[in-house]
Amino acid sequence: MPIQSRNFKAAPMIILLSLLSLPLLIMCFYLIVDTITNTQPGTLIPDEITFEHWRFLWQTTENSSANIWRVTLNTFVFSITTATTILAISLTAGYALSRLNIPFRRFFLSGLIMLHAFPTITLIIAIFLILQTLGLYDSLIGVIMVKSALELPFGIWIMKGFYDNVPWEIEMAGVQDGASRFTVWRKLVLPQVQPGMMALLVFSFLTAWSELVLPLVLAPGNKSQVLSVYLATMLADESSIDFNLMKSVGLFYVIPVIITYMIFQRKLMNIYGGGTKG
Amino acid sequence: MKIELRNFTKRFDGQAVVDNVSLTIESGEMIALLGPSGCGKSTSLFSICGIHRMDEGQLLFGDKDVTNLPSQKRNVGVVFQNYALYPHMSIFENIAFPLVVQKADRATIRRKVADIAELVQISDLLERKPANISGGQQQRTALARALIRRPDVLLLDEPLANLDAKLRLEMRSEIRRIQSETGITAILVTHDQVEAMSICDRIALMQKGKVVQLDKPREMYANPANMFVAEFLGNPPIRFMPAELHENQMIAGGAALPRPQHLKQSNLPDKINLGIRPEHFGPQFGNEISGHILAIETQGRENLYDVALSDGGVLCSIQPANDHLNPGDTIQWGIASQHLLAFDGQGERI
Amino acid sequence: MKHISWLGVGFLTPALLIVGFLFFAPVVMTAVFSFTNMSTATGISGGDYLLSPNNLDEMQAHGVSQKTLDALADTTYQVDDHGLLLLAQEFGTEIANELKERHNNDIFKNRGELERALKDMKHRIRSPRDRKKAADLFGTSILNQRFTSKVDFITAVIQTGAVQADIPAVTSVAYTGWQWTTNNFKRLFSLPATWRYALNTLAYVTLTLVFNIGFGLFLAISTFYMPEGFANTFRTIWFLPRILPPVLYVLMWKWFTWDTGFLSTILAPLGIPAQNWMMQTSTHAWVTIILINGSVGASLGMILFSSAIRSIPASMLHASEVDGASRFQQIRHIILPQLRWPILFLTSYETLSLLASFEHILLTTDGGPGKSTEVWALAAFHTALRNYSGNLQYGYGAAFALILVAIGIAASLVYMRLFNFRDLVSKPRIER
Ligand SMILES: Nc1ncnc2c1ncn2[C@@H]1O[C@H](COP(=O)(O)OP(=O)(O)OP(=O)(O)O)[C@@H](O)[C@H]1O
Ligand SMILES: [Mg+2]
Repeated sequence: MPIQSRNFKAAPMIILLSLLSLPLLIMCFYLIVDTITNTQPGTLIPDEITFEHWRFLWQTTENSSANIWRVTLNTFVFSITTATTILAISLTAGYALSRLNIPFRRFFLSGLIMLHAFPTITLIIAIFLILQTLGLYDSLIGVIMVKSALELPFGIWIMKGFYDNVPWEIEMAGVQDGASRFTVWRKLVLPQVQPGMMALLVFSFLTAWSELVLPLVLAPGNKSQVLSVYLATMLADESSIDFNLMKSVGLFYVIPVIITYMIFQRKLMNIYGGGTKG
Repeated sequence: MKIELRNFTKRFDGQAVVDNVSLTIESGEMIALLGPSGCGKSTSLFSICGIHRMDEGQLLFGDKDVTNLPSQKRNVGVVFQNYALYPHMSIFENIAFPLVVQKADRATIRRKVADIAELVQISDLLERKPANISGGQQQRTALARALIRRPDVLLLDEPLANLDAKLRLEMRSEIRRIQSETGITAILVTHDQVEAMSICDRIALMQKGKVVQLDKPREMYANPANMFVAEFLGNPPIRFMPAELHENQMIAGGAALPRPQHLKQSNLPDKINLGIRPEHFGPQFGNEISGHILAIETQGRENLYDVALSDGGVLCSIQPANDHLNPGDTIQWGIASQHLLAFDGQGERI
Repeated sequence: MKHISWLGVGFLTPALLIVGFLFFAPVVMTAVFSFTNMSTATGISGGDYLLSPNNLDEMQAHGVSQKTLDALADTTYQVDDHGLLLLAQEFGTEIANELKERHNNDIFKNRGELERALKDMKHRIRSPRDRKKAADLFGTSILNQRFTSKVDFITAVIQTGAVQADIPAVTSVAYTGWQWTTNNFKRLFSLPATWRYALNTLAYVTLTLVFNIGFGLFLAISTFYMPEGFANTFRTIWFLPRILPPVLYVLMWKWFTWDTGFLSTILAPLGIPAQNWMMQTSTHAWVTIILINGSVGASLGMILFSSAIRSIPASMLHASEVDGASRFQQIRHIILPQLRWPILFLTSYETLSLLASFEHILLTTDGGPGKSTEVWALAAFHTALRNYSGNLQYGYGAAFALILVAIGIAASLVYMRLFNFRDLVSKPRIER
């Protein structure tokens, strides 16, 4: 609830913040404009409209030999599977940790916080070697498994938080009505945490969609490439840098993110804000 | 069904919250678990319905020992303080849930829900969601859900606490009506003595995890076992004042009074506490005690007077409303000595 | 726990399995690897035994006696089936057969003796050059010869006449697979580069954190005082760094700072020469990195702080207004004290995240120019997984990573104290 009074003037702040936001806005603006125009060197004003920067959609470019549609499909498969896996496992594990009598419950809960502290880099070396031995190197399955595992502690923690807020009385009433704990969970508790499920699903989808390091190390090949790796490969090749092309790829890459963001903005702000507690 | 609790003890983190309680509730009886906040009422209730495990003791439903049965197998109906209706289900689905869990067929479910909805008078609300009905209606729904399985026992945890004053009166008699119509054995948890006295057959008064007295409401009011019970029952509450017993008289409230009939035995201690209820102090009982009026509270039909006695004690009197007296006035009133309650130094009844 | 819910155990099992295999096992393996010299060269399974001429110098450094070295360097000549077959092909079967009859399995100390033997035969080889060539066919040296079993290798070494005491050292040098070692850590603590990375990390974490918190606070507080519409717009804009995929976000920055990009173009009319504002000098690189990472963290800070400010009772703010508090007084005395816990939380959370993060730096400067922005986590990544020399040093990289694990565990223990873990774990209220 904003406080507005004669005492405080908002205008100078708005101007200052607008100035600070300017670089970000310029970047976003040109991200869109540059994908459909050509601009002569030395100026910022485009002089012709063209669709050649989107050529990566129908042909392979000099920067990458992977097929963009294959890569896009991979990215969707990777993100959706990862998100569902995280959700499914967090749903059960979060409930067990929040509500059920299990041995070593405290230990598991503190373990969860600890796992949160393990950075990707500490695992990825060993995982790289494990996947190579298992023959899962350079396959989508491998990255999906690893990404799900890495995001799992966070997912479980979030779901536990949502379960914690379900009134105990609802479960007690269910038990009194003769339902088993499983039925209570499925029929009475799950409907109460639906907003949480939605938020976690969207959140996991977005993190998977944005993930770079794991697929870069574990699945760099053309067959299992995802969009982040596709774009990063272009970006890394500084000898033939073509910003218009890369921006087109980037815009293509970010469209699902923007759509999801617009639909779920409020929910996401909540999980990014509140979810990181712990 | 008769319910029997034998030597029940419940501990949290090693601390006894309910301590060696025994209680028998006759079939068809409605009993109140009454006591101040934190005395262990809910804990007892939860142990009876199986949510808590009992650390010691036994629980019998009829002749059957249910101590180690899980909630699902006990056939107990519970109404929770905040009703715990399932927010995502309609009223119909809420009431039907216990039957759905039992996998009853549709026709039976529809018939039984209709019957019970009629009993609790919510037949026209069945399509709505819990959020869209009033507190009293939620209460009725919770009752219906608790009763639909025809439980052996009905447990109510402060069922009226969330209602406004008028609705509380209405639901109070409704609960009693439904209980006697179904003839179910019921336990009502409450910290409101009026509620307990008005609708229950007997009251179990709890203090710090123990049942201090178990009796019919009138009996408990007239013959409290100790000062705690005497003070807990009755509104406005009983007042106490110290008294000295002498050969033939008794010094109390700065006055010498004749020693009452029921305090004539010679084995009594010299110093006792007297408990005087407001209805037993007033001009109609004599004029031995003098004092001045501290405050007057008008309740419509009656007036309440706080009277400061000459020795500094304060008594309360309740009398039919009138305008004769003002704060500060001095009075000469008496007490109904046959109703005096006497307690020893430990607060136990003499 | 008196009563165990089997449903709970069942519900937890999938998570435990996944976490066990893909989280716990890798951490343990990282710890194990850090005590090995595993690399692309050694492979990750076992290895063979192979001595190359280069190894001889190495062995000398390990204190292997000269006698052994000479013996190993020596070539001996043995008449065996393999050599005879070659001889038959080059010089005819008769010679080969005769040599087999006379000298099968004989060992000659040097080539001269074998040449003499060849000269003395019935079907002798006439030209000395040919004799020399033929003798060479039987030459065996332990050098450049691959043994798959340790026993075979040791037998061969003994045959060369090497000193018995030197054999363990020789075997260890010859082994091409990975080996246990503590050298990784010795190297880690002795190389100046390591300390450089540590300092870089310290600077990176501190500076970024300051920017995170400071700018996050600024965003939260300034938007709080704005009309709803403006506030929401700014919050949406500044949420972007958090929500945009890192690759794209960095791409936008690269364009902004490139020598043909926005900054260079717009500054050209002012007479400032076009330059790469990201990589020009290490100062440029540092500023860019901190701005990029800092704005991502500031997004998070903005959200956290905003919701904390919104939960301040409005009456408190109104009261202070009535008392005539200026905006700064209100911020200083009412808002900031309320933000103590969110700030502490963000500091702890971001410290750990920043310590471990390298994604943005990898994409932005990749540690350059030179090694000026190489932080610890990135160094681990480079050593073990992205190495220009081509030899990925898993063991050494794991040692880098293990240090991060240790810091992570220590920090999370501290945080659990700080944020009162006990409050987060209440006991289940349905006891069966
Ligand atoms: N799960 C628990 N763990 C530890 N102590 C508990 C737990 N539940 C209740 N207690 C303690 O046991 C005591 C009795 O609690 P109980 O809920 O039975 O009180 P009550 O009589 O129902 O009070 P109220 O009228 O306030 O509901 C209280 O002191 C309470 O703090
Ligand atoms: Mg209670």
